[in-house]
Amino acid sequence: MKRRSRPTALAALAAAAALALTACSGDSGDGGDSGGTTTLTFLSWTGEEQMEQVIDAFEEDHPDIDVEASYSPPVAEYIQALQTRVLSGTAPDVFLIAAENKTNLINGEHVLDLSGEDFVENVEPFNLETYGRDGKYYGLSLSSWAAGYLYNKELLAQVGYDAVPETWDEFLEMCAKLQDAGITPFLESVDQMPTTVSAWVGAKNAEMEPSLDDQIFSGESTFAEQWTPELEEYNRIFEEGLMSPDVVGLDGDQVRDEFANGRVAVINGGPWFIGALKEANPDLDFSFSLVPAIDGGEPFAAGAASPGYAINSKADEDKQEAAKTFLRWLATPEAVELFQSLTNDVTVTSDFEPPVDPTFEPMVPSIREGQLYLPMIAWQRAEDVLNVEAVAQIQRMIRGEVEPEQVAEALDTKLAAS
Amino acid sequence: MTTLATRPTAGLRPSDARTWLSRPSGGWRQSAVNKAFLLPAIAVFVFLFVIPLAQTFWWSLTDFTGYSPEAAFVGLANYRVILTDPSMLAGLAFTLLFGVGTTLLITLLAIPLAVQLNKAFRGRNLVRSIWFFPAIPSMAILGLVWRYILSPLDSGALNTVLGTFGLGPVSWLSDPTLARISVIVVGVWAATGWHAVLYTAYLQSIPQDYYEVARIDGATPRQQFFGITLPLLTPAIVISTFLLMTGGLKVFDLPYTLTTGGPGFSTYTITQSIVVSGVGQGRYGLASALAVMFTVAVAALSFGQLWLTRLVEKRFT
Amino acid sequence: MTVPVWRRAALSVAMLLLACLIAVPLYYVVVNTFKTQGEMVASPLSLPTSPVLDNYREVLSDPRMYRSFANTLYVTVISVVLQLLVGALAAYAMVVRTSRLNRILANLLLIGFVVPGQSTLIPLYRTLVGFELVDNLNGLVVMYLGGAIFCYFLVQGYMRTLPFEVIEAARIDGAHDGQIFWHVVLPLIKPILVTVGIFQSMWVWNDFLLPTVFISSPDKRTVVLQVYNAVTEFTTNWPMFMTVSVIALVPMIVFFVLTQKHIASGLLAGSVKG
Repeated sequence: MKRRSRPTALAALAAAAALALTACSGDSGDGGDSGGTTTLTFLSWTGEEQMEQVIDAFEEDHPDIDVEASYSPPVAEYIQALQTRVLSGTAPDVFLIAAENKTNLINGEHVLDLSGEDFVENVEPFNLETYGRDGKYYGLSLSSWAAGYLYNKELLAQVGYDAVPETWDEFLEMCAKLQDAGITPFLESVDQMPTTVSAWVGAKNAEMEPSLDDQIFSGESTFAEQWTPELEEYNRIFEEGLMSPDVVGLDGDQVRDEFANGRVAVINGGPWFIGALKEANPDLDFSFSLVPAIDGGEPFAAGAASPGYAINSKADEDKQEAAKTFLRWLATPEAVELFQSLTNDVTVTSDFEPPVDPTFEPMVPSIREGQLYLPMIAWQRAEDVLNVEAVAQIQRMIRGEVEPEQVAEALDTKLAAS
Repeated sequence: MTTLATRPTAGLRPSDARTWLSRPSGGWRQSAVNKAFLLPAIAVFVFLFVIPLAQTFWWSLTDFTGYSPEAAFVGLANYRVILTDPSMLAGLAFTLLFGVGTTLLITLLAIPLAVQLNKAFRGRNLVRSIWFFPAIPSMAILGLVWRYILSPLDSGALNTVLGTFGLGPVSWLSDPTLARISVIVVGVWAATGWHAVLYTAYLQSIPQDYYEVARIDGATPRQQFFGITLPLLTPAIVISTFLLMTGGLKVFDLPYTLTTGGPGFSTYTITQSIVVSGVGQGRYGLASALAVMFTVAVAALSFGQLWLTRLVEKRFT
Repeated sequence: MTVPVWRRAALSVAMLLLACLIAVPLYYVVVNTFKTQGEMVASPLSLPTSPVLDNYREVLSDPRMYRSFANTLYVTVISVVLQLLVGALAAYAMVVRTSRLNRILANLLLIGFVVPGQSTLIPLYRTLVGFELVDNLNGLVVMYLGGAIFCYFLVQGYMRTLPFEVIEAARIDGAHDGQIFWHVVLPLIKPILVTVGIFQSMWVWNDFLLPTVFISSPDKRTVVLQVYNAVTEFTTNWPMFMTVSVIALVPMIVFFVLTQKHIASGLLAGSVKG
């Protein structure tokens, strides 16, 4: 046995390496609060690169508060990280309330009501109501996003259009002309709720009182009644062969890349595409438009209020006060301007007008006025169950496996079972 | 096939070890040392598996949301919801298909591959490293890469290649059947190399004299493979297939990053249901019930399969 | 050994060709790290027209990257060594003594395989909070000890194929279990220890689920968390993401290349004969 000493040597080496590393990671403990400063823990939704600068600016204005930020990438990972921490009593003082966790956070009374605070006054009510209930506001949502159609001006010009038409019938007509000219007319990624369907349901909801979802969730109406006409309209584009059923296998990035390379005339998407498109193809002449209307309605946008800053209701009094100071500061025009310049989000505070990319101009009024709709956020319970079901069933409809009406009925079944 | 005839009478065979094993080793002292060796593993098992699993089982009987520790006892209601949900059945079907499909395909590919990788040839280390590579990066990156390669558009990487031969485009990820096949093929791609490496390690324990004797007896390479290599690899096959089956049934990130379970529910998995309902929907009680049922099902399947392969192993040794 | 030269050459060619096919995704990842986002979108598969090193420069100039490397190295080394030790000890105990209790235990331990990780996450998190092991690298090490069951299973299977004459001889010489394990058994099972060690290192190094839940301080981040730091809600800078990934994977690749010769080192044959 000549080799008997080898494993020992290896193990010793590993142990030594480990010890050395413990030594160098040992100094990373918290230094404790120094001289009357309050430490505020914060779990950020925004990436470290941007948020760090915002926090630095805040700490400069408020030297008595030390923000200890941690980061978790949205969406699923963030929700999971926050959920585990809330459950174990180690939740941060400030965190984000989002569509995925708002019901549970509010039901569990984990978040502080912000409705009486002065810093919500300048914020668009649509954003506050998204993360509120019964007149109470639980999240300071400072921006919104909107998705609609992006169109390639050059390709549209080839068939005699200078913009996306305002009605679905005219839009399908245009698609047929594009297809005859050998151009792929339209690609919509349906790995999530299709932008088109969200916008149409939103347009319908905007005309209704009480709202569409109030009626469905109170049992007055059903998905089958409210959603079937929209789904049937949407299915036309597949039945008429103007969009390939292959879109069920595409995600947003793939659709964007096809558009960047000039291989498709119209896609669905939001402002997050702008930077990548300009970098990928600086010569691309494109613009956004609202989703064309059906049924004599108005063109509309899919979208929602961004997650809102929330205060942990279980935190100590002085932490809550410091947290309010942080939120108050975040809502100031200076902070909003800084945040906007770092993230390009379209902000919704009344005392700051966010500069936006000219291509995105057509969408801005919808955002600033809260004329946006996203089913998952508007739904009142079982949001994620319904969303998963809707996406899967719409994909099946596109593949011709089920009829539009069956998609809506499947949602009713899901709602009844949850 | 004359298994025994090709084997040398002298030399060490696994069965020698087995007879040695069954001999009782005596003395309370030996027994105590033996227990001491087992203690760390038992501690790990109890602390990291038994206790949390018991907790999960309790939660499966409640309406726990995953946010507040208070939860009300609801009996078997969660189990009832699961058993009456049609999308759950769809998830079950693909999970089974993936588990069984990848286990079979990887085993059929990895054994011959290991035999080849064990031979001396120029560039062997490079080839071995490349085969192992898919096991290294996280599935999130690989899923994205494959998504681009298998894109159903004309501009997808594979469709571009097919296009130059005048074929396609093929709807790889947007046709339910092709999507299922694609996910399984990528799963095979990702794990075959690592299992071949596992078999390679086991090939080391086959004494070379067996082959020398067999060659002297005039056995062809094929006879050597079926007469010596394969029977002596059965312990490895037992282990590899057990790992593949348990891993395959628990698969989450590959179908999730490649197809997100679509189109429709065609590549939806049970684990995706657990994750989605537990995290995304705050229905932790339901997710726990699903986890409990799933654990029991995977245990039944994997142990059944283990028992079967061990039966086969006994026949060969 | 009288394998004709042409057959070995043919084997080389065939295996290299096959390997090239397998490596296409690898090529895809690496080639795009030398491109800008724009070029990747325009031509994802072609070679970069003028390779840009900016991605690498930017990633490597970030001190947090090095910090996360040190953290991951710490967690990986300690937890894999412990996993192998715990697993090999248990395997040895099970293999040399086949009492009924041990057989029952052997089957029970396998349950560790079939539990989906997601389902024990929250109970474990709550336990670790009690031990102040949350947001703590040692807490991660504790969690990864669960991998010891995997090691146990692979090692015990391998041990069963070993010639136990050697152990018996050592026992007749008066060596006790500890000595036999350390000086006789460990060298014999080296191929499987290396194989399992490599595999477990890959898992710990790449794991995303546990760090994302258990680690919150930026200075305790592992490499994978650092990689995902580049991910935002709607869109991702893929070339940058892939660059961070490649850099994060280089140590693993070096590790594999350095250790793989031990997998097939013919060590066993030598020790049996000698």
